[in-house]
Amino acid sequence: MSAPRAGGILATLVGRALRDARTRTLAFAYLFALYAYIQPVGFRHAYPKLTDRLAFVHSFAGNDAVRFFYGYPYDASTVGGYSAWRVGGTLAILAAVFGVLGAVRALRTEEDTGRAEIVLAGAIARRTVFVAAIGAVGAGVALLWLGETVGFIAGSLPVGESAYLALATATVAAVFAGVGALACQLAPARRIALELGNAVVAVSLLARVVADTSSGLGWLRWLTPLGWAEELRPFAGPQPLVLVLPVLATALVLGMVSASISSAGISKSIRREIARLGTGSIATPTGYVSFVFIFFVLAVSLFACAQIGAARQQEADEQLETLLALPVGRVRWLGGRLLLALCAAAALSLVAGAFTWAGASAQGVSMSLPRLLEAGANCLPTTVLFLGLAALAYALVPRASAGIAYGLVSVAFLWQLVGALLGVPKLLLELTPFAHVGLVPTQAFRGDDAAVMLAIGLVAACAGLAAFRRRDLLGT
Amino acid sequence: MCRTGLPGRTGRRAGRADVPGVSENPQSACGRARRANAARWTSVLSMSSAVAPPPSPERSRSCTIRTERLTKRYGETLALDRLDLEVYEGEVYGYLGPNGAGKTTTIRLLLGLHRPSAGRAELFGLDAWADPVNAHRRVAYVAGEPFLWPALTSAETFEFLGRVHGGVDRAYRDVLVERFQLDTRKKIRALSKGNRQKVQLIAALATRAELLLLDEPTSGLDPLMEMAFRECVQEAKQRGQTILLSSHILSEVEAVCDRVGILRKGRLVDEGTLEQLRHLGAHTVEVTFAGPAPTLPPLPGVHAQSAGPNALRFEVLEDIGPLVAALAQAGGETIKTLTSREPSLEEIFLHHYDGSDGHVGA
Repeated sequence: MSAPRAGGILATLVGRALRDARTRTLAFAYLFALYAYIQPVGFRHAYPKLTDRLAFVHSFAGNDAVRFFYGYPYDASTVGGYSAWRVGGTLAILAAVFGVLGAVRALRTEEDTGRAEIVLAGAIARRTVFVAAIGAVGAGVALLWLGETVGFIAGSLPVGESAYLALATATVAAVFAGVGALACQLAPARRIALELGNAVVAVSLLARVVADTSSGLGWLRWLTPLGWAEELRPFAGPQPLVLVLPVLATALVLGMVSASISSAGISKSIRREIARLGTGSIATPTGYVSFVFIFFVLAVSLFACAQIGAARQQEADEQLETLLALPVGRVRWLGGRLLLALCAAAALSLVAGAFTWAGASAQGVSMSLPRLLEAGANCLPTTVLFLGLAALAYALVPRASAGIAYGLVSVAFLWQLVGALLGVPKLLLELTPFAHVGLVPTQAFRGDDAAVMLAIGLVAACAGLAAFRRRDLLGT
Repeated sequence: MCRTGLPGRTGRRAGRADVPGVSENPQSACGRARRANAARWTSVLSMSSAVAPPPSPERSRSCTIRTERLTKRYGETLALDRLDLEVYEGEVYGYLGPNGAGKTTTIRLLLGLHRPSAGRAELFGLDAWADPVNAHRRVAYVAGEPFLWPALTSAETFEFLGRVHGGVDRAYRDVLVERFQLDTRKKIRALSKGNRQKVQLIAALATRAELLLLDEPTSGLDPLMEMAFRECVQEAKQRGQTILLSSHILSEVEAVCDRVGILRKGRLVDEGTLEQLRHLGAHTVEVTFAGPAPTLPPLPGVHAQSAGPNALRFEVLEDIGPLVAALAQAGGETIKTLTSREPSLEEIFLHHYDGSDGHVGA
């Protein structure tokens, strides 16, 4: 009769979907890890000296045919830049295919083979099935991200930048999972859904290839998720603000799909079953949106980490030295960066809320805009918390700061996800900040918890500013 | 014999102790430093020859850069060891030293980018670590490695840096762009190292800052651009700007610097005007003879070696007189040519880095 029951069902379904996809997911993750490992190691081996690397950049990397496959080389003269280039071209395409395949398999295959009916007959809302499928695809994408990150780290690339580079690839998988879900709603059969999804991949690839190989058409890159991954520019002047695009695109598409699922209708008898069982809010548009926003909370927190990673990158590239030799105080610089990160995160959160509302409205589902904006704003307490902690890490252990920041967020989120699935004691579960986020719009905004997180974040940020005032600037 | 190093430092301390009663001028620290310097030179010079202390052209000027026992450790490494450095207003100071001597460390400490382990650094009398922002309003800096923003063009970089610094002489900047032949429409990532260096230099020079901290500013520049750089330094000097020029291009330092400091393993091992440094170095005297070279008796302070079948080379530390007398006695009529020259900065420099024990001796 209570929410844990619904969580239990959801967990079972996610587990089921993950087991169905385990061979594919593990194979992809292994491939990503291996490919990521080979890039830096191979490059160091083949081009040990800077002169070799520069010669490589001037000859091979500038070649149009090569760009066709690998994309635009922003900086192929460094080990990291080379790896980012190679991965941006190839793994991003594989990630796109993985996203489409994962979503279509999870959403449509079950349905087409009739197994979905068995599940649905078990008094479960169609939406719950959908959410479970998307959750499983999300977990698969997270695994790809992890595999790729581990591969780069094994290839001796720095932890923070490796995580960011893998994030660039993972965003592609996330957006195309959304595309796959949409294709499932539009297409009458699984095969057609798959073809539709892959067609979108192909068009995106085409746009990227044209953008990378034709002068004057570089702007086309902004029209394709594959191009966004390139524009994140890992290892070559990172632009973490571009993360806004894949996050918004995923939000918009999943918002639309969710709305269309509810309008597709669930049989009255099943609805009664749900109501009787009290499977909770997940079966309503509001509940679904609450579920989706858990991932936005994560995404915006990761965005904060990326901002600190960018600050560190600026220091490592010695641009900060040039800047601080001007009449710019350190507190002003870092404080400004934190404020900018916060404003961008706030804008991102509110726009995600507004887009979800727009997506739902476009499908004729009426939801309260203020409530969805509140759901967006609900992303901010954890963001402030992690931004503050990341700033403190940046001030105290600059070289490890990005790794620590991403690590904190990932561990905290996995703790909640795995903890909830395994049913660990409440006391342990509440160690993670994500357990203290109210599921707006279903649940109320948890003001007390938010205040505590904001306070900790602010104190950590202030401590970070004070500590940054006291240390040497550190190059790579 | 010891030329600087320990005796110099002893003399310096003695000089400081000897003048407690002298009234202090407003720039008391500088005054003290000048007296200490004079005492040092006196003590140093009295060991080699009885030359009066050199006239101090800085007497009426104030200190732009001053460090006091400035020390920096990185873990186990002692990068800078109790550095006492004074650079006066309007002076071009050549800061010499091999790689890893502590030149860049000094500049980073002066800019407050790194924190001193001990001692202090001041720019315009402002503490470099505690109050960097106020000092930086009057400073322009050229970093050793031209890392800039790869996605910006040179023009955008100038605009950005100029806006952050404030007070840029745009007309002069255009002159500099012309002089350094820089294409300002290109993005930084498309520029070679030399061209990036030009971007940094132009941005720094165009601020017309009172103090220019230049960390190997001409690395990567071609000889033509090197000449353009020297011209700029002369202009800056005429405008009364102070320059700290870290370099290991000796001809550059020789051409533009008023005073030179030589750094080794984090310590200032020699300092003075080029003339003073030369005076302290060994003269080289080369003599060729019509017949076989005669054998001379050993002379104090003179090191002789063969320089060919009929020639001798002498390194003379003190006066040349005894050598000339000895040559005349040994067969003056067979001398065909006799040349005498002062040591080049290169020789002084190499002289300081020959030994491996860190002890400075002639």
